[in-house]
Amino acid sequence: MLAAVVLALALIIPPAPSQRVNDYARLLPADAQRRLEERLAERERATSAQTVVAIFPSLEGESLEDFGVRLAERWRVGQKGLDNGVILLVFVKERRVRLEVGYGLEPVLPDAVAAQIIRETIGPRFREQRYAEGLEAAVDAIYARVETKGVPPAAPRHGFGVSPITLGVLALFGVIALILARDAVGGGRARRHAYTAGGRRGWDSPSVIVPPIFGNWSGRGGGDGGGFSAGGGSFGGGGASGEW
Amino acid sequence: MKALVIALVVIAIIVLAVGAWAVGIYNSLIGLEQGVNEKWAQVQNVYQRRADLIPNLVETVKGFAAQERNVLTEVTEARARATGVQLTPEALNDPKAMERFQAAQGQLSGALSRLLVVVERYPELKSNQNFLSLQSQLEGTENRIAVERRRFNEAVREYNTRLNLFPGTIVARLAGFRPKAFFEAAPDAATPPKVKF
Repeated sequence: MLAAVVLALALIIPPAPSQRVNDYARLLPADAQRRLEERLAERERATSAQTVVAIFPSLEGESLEDFGVRLAERWRVGQKGLDNGVILLVFVKERRVRLEVGYGLEPVLPDAVAAQIIRETIGPRFREQRYAEGLEAAVDAIYARVETKGVPPAAPRHGFGVSPITLGVLALFGVIALILARDAVGGGRARRHAYTAGGRRGWDSPSVIVPPIFGNWSGRGGGDGGGFSAGGGSFGGGGASGEW
Repeated sequence: MKALVIALVVIAIIVLAVGAWAVGIYNSLIGLEQGVNEKWAQVQNVYQRRADLIPNLVETVKGFAAQERNVLTEVTEARARATGVQLTPEALNDPKAMERFQAAQGQLSGALSRLLVVVERYPELKSNQNFLSLQSQLEGTENRIAVERRRFNEAVREYNTRLNLFPGTIVARLAGFRPKAFFEAAPDAATPPKVKF
């Protein structure tokens, strides 16, 4: 656990961004960035699925997968309840890419497809240093899947919000607790487990280890793409990693 | 007489306050325990997801490397053992049961990584589309396992911390709450199998 904390300090997760294209490595020319930002904004309007690109200079020794999901937990790309966010992470020095896919898009963008996009769409272009083209093609490939298969309806809720069901369950527990408390403190609580519902996804952990140090994250954003805000989508580690 | 009434009222207020405090602790622990159980269900889901991938993976490898019988059998048997060990939420209080679950899944992780090492010797298999797809699914699942395990441990930490806070811990222990076991990453399972493209 300590090791994880130390690692987390090595590469700080930037605060949730205000644009879709976040080039912390200054990899893309300004006009390419603007084009990509506009394309992402337009696709997002058309499909409601939200894709964000983040380009970092280096992983600084972090685990790609671990960093990816912690970034996803912090940025919360996608709409709450729909969890229809995608994050495309690029690490220039290590030449590594990761596609982080939100819960709601896992059916249309399964890991094998994400891996294929990295292998066949991003990889060849990046190897020829055609970064902007690679990213644009990847975005097209992602949204091609979203459009053909459609955005699935909201999965059973597992966001931060307290649903009526949760409230009901808590209220029920409260009543039971009152009864138990009245039954004298030594009493059994044998029936309690009968009420714990299994199988639902837990709500997301808010405890991302992120020191509140901002500096340094002057990512160059690409113009205004029509108002961007990440809305609270959840991620569970779906997606794929690859190299170029 | 008047003094007696005042004393009774004061005692009643104290009893009510202590009762409300105890109920508050009870409820918050119930909520936290619920969170732990939900996350545990997720942990088991992702392990099940991995187990579901294995028959297909074994078949695909067999098609190219049937002579690697040992490692294939090892994976199949480890899978059978791992799917046989399930933990109900009640068993989360039992470190021994948790150890058994971890050991079974750890063995499967070990067998899988040995299989992936063997695969390196078969270039044709490595470039097979079906295998590539299974491999990325397996990697994705290992990653999901890591994520859900971390979230589970965070939930357990939160629950255990609340449980051990004095003086609430007295109420909690009397009401039957017990600390829950963490999911420690086994050495075998710590690093998901890596693949180069």
